[in-house]
Amino acid sequence: MRALVIVGHGSHLNGDSSLPVYEHAARIRETREFDEVVECFWKEEPSMRHVLDTVESDDICVVPAFISEGYFTQQVIPRELGLDGPVTEKGGMTVRYAGPLGTFGQMEGVILERTEDLMRGKKKRPGRTALVLLGHGTDLNKSSSGVIYLNAERIREHSLFDLVAEAFLDQAPEVGEVVAGVEAENVILIPVFIAEGWHTRETIPEDLGLTGEVTEREDRTIFYGAPVGTHPSMADLIAARARDTYRTGDQAPGTAGCEDEVVRSAS
Amino acid sequence: MSEAPRSASGSASGESENVAATSREAFAAWVDDAMEGRTFAQVLIRRLETGYEMRHTDDLDAENLETSDDPRLAREISRLTEAGEHRPLKSAPNLRRGWILRVADAREMAVAMNYLYPAAVVHWHLEREGKLEITSYRENAARQSGIYKRVQRLSDEGVHNAAQACCEDAVCLKRTLWDVDGETPLAMDRGNGEIPCPEPCSLFVSFARRVRLFEREERERDAAGLTPSEREDLASLVAARASGKMKMAREAEFEEPLNERRLRYRLLTLAPKLRPGE
Repeated sequence: MRALVIVGHGSHLNGDSSLPVYEHAARIRETREFDEVVECFWKEEPSMRHVLDTVESDDICVVPAFISEGYFTQQVIPRELGLDGPVTEKGGMTVRYAGPLGTFGQMEGVILERTEDLMRGKKKRPGRTALVLLGHGTDLNKSSSGVIYLNAERIREHSLFDLVAEAFLDQAPEVGEVVAGVEAENVILIPVFIAEGWHTRETIPEDLGLTGEVTEREDRTIFYGAPVGTHPSMADLIAARARDTYRTGDQAPGTAGCEDEVVRSAS
Repeated sequence: MSEAPRSASGSASGESENVAATSREAFAAWVDDAMEGRTFAQVLIRRLETGYEMRHTDDLDAENLETSDDPRLAREISRLTEAGEHRPLKSAPNLRRGWILRVADAREMAVAMNYLYPAAVVHWHLEREGKLEITSYRENAARQSGIYKRVQRLSDEGVHNAAQACCEDAVCLKRTLWDVDGETPLAMDRGNGEIPCPEPCSLFVSFARRVRLFEREERERDAAGLTPSEREDLASLVAARASGKMKMAREAEFEEPLNERRLRYRLLTLAPKLRPGE
């Protein structure tokens, strides 16, 4: 039997954080691709520490609902789940550990779907249109921004927008400057975040003076999308991530999927 | 990366039986054995002619309950309190009322129970089998990192007080099985509910971090013997009470003076100083 275990951050304060994990799990359950689909969290229950005890399958794929490689995917999740590499044998189970979602090949498609959903029925100004991918970013870990640069590059190849730019909350280029300075009359701002939360609901709209999905400024219109991670298509991406992990199961860390290599060079 | 063994699968290692499956069967048999049903934290579970019924223990005789046969509706039931607040700790005694789940079989009952009380059925079973592995506070703290690393420095007294404030039945219905360490039992009323708690949870670790920050204020006591955060909490309490709007902070909002667990901690550590001799 095969089980998919989706790991979310979760929150002690805010139910929005775990909600997409539950929703994606429900969608994947409906496909019946896996015998079991189970959710677990760092800050909510079931904890990573105990989730494997609730699984009846013997072949398990753990997919972190995180955008980029970093502290959680590299330290916290393996430690709490008791994993010692891409494949761990324990308690009669084979536990495979997938990489995060943001570097996976289908991610650009989800970003584009999120963009289409936002722009459906909305009137643009005459002139150029820029897509701005917004990441958290941190000077402590280049993978966080690497995912944004990687997806921006992939989307540029489609030539759907006059311009594709990267922006961040906690590192340069800073989002306020990018949104104000990008040379376009229409600016589509898409947060590459896994869930709604403090940043997407409060700090970003406040800092940028956004009034909702559409904000008119003198020289430009800003379209602000929901986070990529809550899009229903993320469920397909999570399932595909698991499928890919089963396929490449026994390879060495970092070689399972060429996209992980790309993000290193992009960052 | 895996120096900390996992409690249950560690103990189930080498056995051919899957612990989730055996727990599910044992739990169903336990429910089947009681005509009047079983109480599991705030849920009453009863065997029906076919399948099982679950409802809030306070809804035994209630009418007009919302009835469903979908075990996954349990997630929606357990998500928010009666007042619509997020429930980060499912074993807190704030499960909302007004629902009945009538499910087809033991498998569906296990699905529902895992949303109402995640991992509780398996811990319940492992404890009865004598196989539940317990992780002490010090073992748990030793593997914390990042902003939680500081919980390693929490004093034994701090652990006792934090556990009394954060884990007793008034705020969590699990029965606390872990201790400070191998030699130091927790000084608290551990509760007597069905669900064992084998290890400090993430909510407790977060609270322990807050208590450790309180401990660091010791050197900043004023002439009246109060720390800055004690003064702040007292002022906030007076202001809130005087305004007539005593709005409590959210369950895990430990930075807020009017948080229930924080106030329980103050009752243990501040109240005796304010009323010496009582």
